[in-house]
Amino acid sequence: MQKMVGEEIRNTVIAATAIFLIAPAFIVAYISVYNRRKKRHIEEKAQMQQAFETEIAKAQLEVQEQTMQTIGADLHDNIGQLLSLTSLTLNSIELDNEAKARQKINDSIDLTMRSIKEMRLLGHLLQGDQLVALGLSAAIRQEVSWMERSGRYEIVYTPAEELPAANNPDKDLIIFRIVQEVFNNIMKHAAATQIKIALDYWDAVLQLSVMDNGVGFVTEEQPLARHGIGLQNIRKRAGIIGGEAVIISSPGEGSRVTISIPYP
Amino acid sequence: MLNYFTLTIIAELSCLLVAIICLSKDNVRIWHYFSAFLLITVIAELTGIYLKRNHHPHNGWVYNILMVFEFAFINIMYVAIFRRYSIGKAIIISGFGLFALLYTYEFLKHGLFEYNNLSYTTMSIILVIYALFYYYDLMNNDNYIRIIYSAEFWWVTGGLFYYFGETACDLFYDKLQAVHIAFFHSLTYYIYNILNLLLYGCWSYSFICRKWLEKRSEIR
Repeated sequence: MQKMVGEEIRNTVIAATAIFLIAPAFIVAYISVYNRRKKRHIEEKAQMQQAFETEIAKAQLEVQEQTMQTIGADLHDNIGQLLSLTSLTLNSIELDNEAKARQKINDSIDLTMRSIKEMRLLGHLLQGDQLVALGLSAAIRQEVSWMERSGRYEIVYTPAEELPAANNPDKDLIIFRIVQEVFNNIMKHAAATQIKIALDYWDAVLQLSVMDNGVGFVTEEQPLARHGIGLQNIRKRAGIIGGEAVIISSPGEGSRVTISIPYP
Repeated sequence: MLNYFTLTIIAELSCLLVAIICLSKDNVRIWHYFSAFLLITVIAELTGIYLKRNHHPHNGWVYNILMVFEFAFINIMYVAIFRRYSIGKAIIISGFGLFALLYTYEFLKHGLFEYNNLSYTTMSIILVIYALFYYYDLMNNDNYIRIIYSAEFWWVTGGLFYYFGETACDLFYDKLQAVHIAFFHSLTYYIYNILNLLLYGCWSYSFICRKWLEKRSEIR
């Protein structure tokens, strides 16, 4: 009996010693697996950073392109027309009829002044992506004022009452580009007459919402050719800066795009 | 003479040779002096064997003196490894304090000639804690290091294997000593040999990493 107990103790001791000897091997194996995972995580983080930087550069380029398009359209439709009218008015002056000539000269001066004013506004826009450097609220206001000038939309813009003093230029650029994308979608597809845009900030979250009273669409069946690429871009870009985009719409009832982003 | 060349002595001598080749021009002082520590270890081991083979009643005093060198040297090594973290210094000071206290207690209790078993077991546990803290930091640290080429990692790993096993052997020494696998040797003989091979194998590889592989992995 005593021998059996002794045998049992001996076996227990040998087993315990074996565990002690094997345990470090498991610790080292665990560290090794963990380290490999850490490496993968670091690589993924670097890839995400690279994707983020690429997206920022792309957004910057798109903002510049959009600006150039706006400038081109404005030169053609607005300033070009004003200057043509000025030229026509000046050409039609008859020096014999002093009263009529004075009237036409005054009209020409008025047209020239309007052209100068338009040029000055264009000058602001020529700053392109630097527009965002003025601050997100100011940049959106500028975009809204260009939309309003087309005369096709009634726009109500409610800027955020208070934004953090330290802004995030990268996020500002992406948000501004999202606003441009949403406006482009409205202009191309929505046939809207009223647009409401609001910027809110609370609890370290910036919320941008854009509503229109256009034709709307079925969000589940995004027609790629019409809205799809733009909406996908909006979602992707919101995601890249850690936020999310919610797009609500139904046929005949307009649409609402809400973007929530941790800020700054 | 051949009787002196036990497996442990051969492992220690090989490690010493690798240390001389790899670390003699090392810029960091503690790595540079590693061969000196290994030389002290070899001399102590040989003296211990000599005293035992010539029937001297006590050889514990040799290992008691070696223990001080061993703990001091490994502590300094960990000071160099943990210099990046503020908590590391506190852990080392606590470990050193505890060891000094127990060593003094055992010294006063039975003098220098009897082996300080309690101090050695405590030292093993302290060094295992250091190693585990190193791993904990390795996992928490944001920076990635290629552990396969990391001299520090393999040096710590060698220590972990050795002192973890040592703790078990010290705790169950009497029971394990009674288990005979072959005619001459008990189980402890084989375990100590395996532990020594693991320790000096890991340390030798760590010196090779220090001399060649670490730099090569940095270049990549």
